[in-house]
Amino acid sequence: MANVELSNINKTFGAVETIPDLTLSVPDGSFTVLVGPSGCGKSTLLRMVAGLEEPSRGKISIGGRDVTHEEPSKRGISMVFQSYALFPHMTVEQNIDFGLRLSKTPPEERQKRVDAAAEILHLKPLLKRKPAALSGGQRQRVAIGRSIVRNPDVFLFDEPLSNLDAALRNQMRVELADLHERLKSTMIYVTHDQVEAMTLADQIVVMNAGRIEQVGAPMELYNRPQTLFVAGFIGSPRMNLITGEAAAKEGAKTIGVRPEHIELGERGAWKGRLRFAEHLGNETIAYIDSELGELIIRINGDHKMKPGEVLQFQFLQEHIHRFDESGRRIQ
Amino acid sequence: MTSAASIHNRKSRSIFADLMSSKGQAVLLLLPPALLLFTLFVALPLFDAAYYSLFKWNGYGTPTDFVGLDNFRQVLNHGIFWESVRNTLIVLAVSLFIQLPLALGLALMIYEKTPANTLFRLVFFLPYILAEIASGLIWSFVFDGNSGVASAIFKSLGMDPVFILADRHWAFLAITLVVVWKYFGFHMMIFVAALQSVPKELLEAARLEGAKRWEVVRFVQVPLIGAAIGVSAFFAVVGSLQLFDVVIPLTNGGPSNSTHTIVTYLYSFGLTRNRIGFGSAVGVLLFLAAVGVSIFYQYQTNRRSK
Amino acid sequence: MTYARLVPQLARLAILLIVVTFVLGPLTVAVFGGFKTNGELLASPFGLPSHWNTEFYSALLNDPGFWKYLGNSLIISLSTVVLTLIVAAAAAYVFAQIRFFGSRMMMSYLLAGLVFPFATAILPLFIKVRDFGLLDSYWAVILPQTAFGLSLSILLFKTFFEQLPKELFEAAYVEGCGYIRFFWRFTLPLSTPILATVGVFAFVQSWNNFLLPLVVINSRDLFTWPLGMMQFRGEFLVEWNRVLAFITLTILPAVVFFVAAQKYIVAGLTGGAVKG
Ligand SMILES: Nc1ncnc2c1ncn2[C@@H]1O[C@H](COP(=O)(O)OP(=O)(O)OP(=O)(O)O)[C@@H](O)[C@H]1O
Ligand SMILES: [Mg+2]
Repeated sequence: MANVELSNINKTFGAVETIPDLTLSVPDGSFTVLVGPSGCGKSTLLRMVAGLEEPSRGKISIGGRDVTHEEPSKRGISMVFQSYALFPHMTVEQNIDFGLRLSKTPPEERQKRVDAAAEILHLKPLLKRKPAALSGGQRQRVAIGRSIVRNPDVFLFDEPLSNLDAALRNQMRVELADLHERLKSTMIYVTHDQVEAMTLADQIVVMNAGRIEQVGAPMELYNRPQTLFVAGFIGSPRMNLITGEAAAKEGAKTIGVRPEHIELGERGAWKGRLRFAEHLGNETIAYIDSELGELIIRINGDHKMKPGEVLQFQFLQEHIHRFDESGRRIQ
Repeated sequence: MTSAASIHNRKSRSIFADLMSSKGQAVLLLLPPALLLFTLFVALPLFDAAYYSLFKWNGYGTPTDFVGLDNFRQVLNHGIFWESVRNTLIVLAVSLFIQLPLALGLALMIYEKTPANTLFRLVFFLPYILAEIASGLIWSFVFDGNSGVASAIFKSLGMDPVFILADRHWAFLAITLVVVWKYFGFHMMIFVAALQSVPKELLEAARLEGAKRWEVVRFVQVPLIGAAIGVSAFFAVVGSLQLFDVVIPLTNGGPSNSTHTIVTYLYSFGLTRNRIGFGSAVGVLLFLAAVGVSIFYQYQTNRRSK
Repeated sequence: MTYARLVPQLARLAILLIVVTFVLGPLTVAVFGGFKTNGELLASPFGLPSHWNTEFYSALLNDPGFWKYLGNSLIISLSTVVLTLIVAAAAAYVFAQIRFFGSRMMMSYLLAGLVFPFATAILPLFIKVRDFGLLDSYWAVILPQTAFGLSLSILLFKTFFEQLPKELFEAAYVEGCGYIRFFWRFTLPLSTPILATVGVFAFVQSWNNFLLPLVVINSRDLFTWPLGMMQFRGEFLVEWNRVLAFITLTILPAVVFFVAAQKYIVAGLTGGAVKG
C-alpha cells in the first residue's frame, strides 16, 4: 500500500506563501498528474513529497506512515528530474545502481535489478556509456532506470518529457504508460502538456496559485469542470467563455462552450464573421468575431470557408457549462 | 602544370592582398606590441639564462669565461641548494596535502550563495590580495620572540619564549603556515566557483538515492570538480616553486641559510653576489622543474578527459 | 531542513569562526599595534590598545618619504594597467577575430608565459634592463611586469571576445567597417567587464610586486612601497609599532580597493583558472 496523503500543507519561502493550505489524496497505484500554470507550485509540491523541501506546516504520509520529517531516501520514493540529473562522470550502469551501491546491496542482487531495468527500458547496449554519449530520450530512460531499480512505492516525475522533441515525447509517453501498467506503483507526474495529462492520468489535479482547483478523472474534468479556471485550462483549443446577456439567459454569470459544441447552420441563433480558419485536415478550427465576442469553433475537416464570410451558429444546449459570479459551476 | 602555376600565383597574390587588407593591417598593427614585449622581457631572458649559465660571469662586460656545465656542477654540489630544494618540496607538500584539503573543506562549507557565506568568502580571500611582503612582515611580528604574539602565548603558558624564526626546527614550519594563510583563500575561491557550477539536481538526485552528506561530497561533488582541483594543484605547485616574497621578511633565508627556497637561494647566491652565471644555472633548473610540472599536468588532464 | 541538523550547523560555524580568527588575527594585531607604544606592544601584543596613540600613524602620514613610496607605486601600477590593457586587448582581439597563418602558434607562444616562474629569468632580465639603460627607472618595472602579465591577460581577453556575438562584426563588416575600427568602436566599448577584471588584476599584481623592483631599482627616490617598507623595517628594527603602522597604512588602501573590486578579482581568478 502506498497511497500518498497530504494534509493541510503550507509552504512559505521567506515571506512568500507559495502554498497556503493544500490537502490531497493520491490513491495507491494511481497515476496522478499535476497540472497548472507556471509558478503555481507543482514542483514545490512534488519536492515536498520527495523530501527535498520540508513543508512549513502540515503532514505528509506515504502508505499510512508519517514521513513529514523523514529523509528522502527513507520514504520509498524515487524521482525523475526534468534535467534528468544523471551523474556525468559515471557510466549508465553506475548511474543506475548508484543507490544500490550506497546501500551495500550484494553484487548479484544489484546485477539482477540493473539487468531487469535495462531490459524494460531497452538500455542493454548502452550500459557502459557515459551520459554525454546518449540522446535525450536515452538519457531520460536511464533516469527512469535509476528510479526503477530501487523498487520505490511511489514514482515522482517533474516534467520528465519537456526536454524532448515531439516525436520522442509521444514515444516516451507510451512507454511511461506501459511502465505504469507493468509496475502498478503509485506515480505522481507534473506536466505542462495537456495531452500527457489526459492520456496518462487516471487522476488529474489542477492547481492554481498554490491551491487545488479540482481533482478528478480526465474525462470528468473535461466534461464537468468545477471552476472557470479548470474550464479554461483543460481542453485545447480552449473553451469559449461568454459573459453578458447570453450568459444571463442561461441563468449564469459566465457560460462556457467547447469549440466542438458549437454548431453551424442557418437555424443558428447567433451571427459572426470568420476571421480566419486553420485547416488541419481532419478538422478545421475557425476563429470568429461574433456578437458574443471572439469565439473558436471546431468543425470537420472538409468545410470550405473564406475569411470575412458571415456564419450563423448555435450552442449545443446540453453541453453548456454554467458558472456563477465566484467562478463555481452551477449544477 | 599551368593550372598548378596559376593556383600558386593566385595564392601568393592573395597573401599579398591579405597583408594590404584591413585584416592584414589589423594583424600588423595590433599584434606586434605584445609579441615584442613578450619576446624582449620574457622569452629572450629565458634563452639568455641558458646561455649565461655556461659562463662564469659577474655581470659586467660580456660573458667570456666559458665554463661549460661547471655552474650546474657547483649548484648541484652545494648543500644549501639541496636544502632549498627540500624546503621548496616541503612547501609544495604542505600546499598540496594540507592547504588544498583545507580549502576544499571550507569551500564545501560556504559555496552556497547566502549573504553570510559571501562574507566568509570575502574574509578568507583577503590575504591573497595583500602584498606578500606585508603579510610576511606582519607574521614576522606575530612570531617575534621578544615582543610578538607567539612570545606572549609562550609566556602565558609559563614557558620561555622561543624565537621561532631563529630556530632551525621551527622557522620553516612557520613559513609554511604563512603560505597557507596567504594562499588557501585563492584555492578556496577556485573550488567555490567549481562547486557552484555543479547542477543542484545532481546533489538532490544523490540524496534521493540515499547518499549521506559526505557521500554526496565523495561520489558526486569532488569527482565533478576534478578539473578545478587539477588547476588548483597546478597553481599550488608552480606557486611553491617560485616562493620568494614571503620568505624575505620572515627569515631572509636564515638562520644559517636553513630556510631558503629555490628562488631566495637564487637571489642570495646569484644576484646579490654578482654570480650571474651561477644564478642563471639555478634559474635554468627551476625552469626545467616548471616545464616538467606542466608536461605532467598536461598529461594528466589529457588522460582524465579521455 | 532534515539534512542539516543543529549540531553539524554549529560545528560548521565554529570551524568557520576559527578560520576567520586565523585570517583576521594577524591583521588586527597589526592595525592595533600601530596605536600602541613599544612598551605596551611588548606587554600585550594583542588586544585593544589601552590608549589610542595616533602619533606613529601621523608621523608616517607627515613623512614625505612615505608618500613618495606610495606615489611611485601608484605611477608604476597605473602605467602597467594602461599598457597591459592596450597591448593585451589588441593581441587578444587579433587571435579572437582574425584567422591567419601562424595565429595558433603565436597564441601558444604568448600563453607559454602562464607556466614560467618569473624568477627563472630574473638575472638575465636584470642584465637586459641594464643593457637597455632602463635600470633605476619606472620603465624598468613597468615593461617586464606588463610582459609577464600578458599571458593571463590575453587569455582572459580572448575568451571574452570570442563570446561576443559574431553577427555584430559581420553586420559592421558589411557596412564597410574595418577590423581596427571595429576593435575601437565596438569590441572595446562592449568589453568593460573584462577590461575591469584585467585592469584590477594587473593593478594588484603590480602594487604588490617586490622581486622585480628589488632587482631593478636602486635609488630611494624611486622605491615602491614594498621596498620602502623593507627599508623602514631595517631602520626601525626594534620599533615594531612604527613598522606595524607602516604596514597598516599600506594594506588599508589595498583592503578597501579589494572590497570594492573583489567581483572583478574573483572573476579574473576563476576565469583564468578554470579556462587556463
Ligand atoms: N527555493 C525557493 N525560494 C523561494 N521561492 C521559491 C523557491 N522554490 C520555488 N519558489 C517559488 O514558489 C513558486 C512555485 O514554484 P514551483 O517551482 O513549484 O512552480 P511550478 O508550478 O513547478 O512552475 P513551473 O511549471 O514553471 O515549473 C514560484 O513562485 C517560485 O518562485
Ligand atoms: Mg516546476
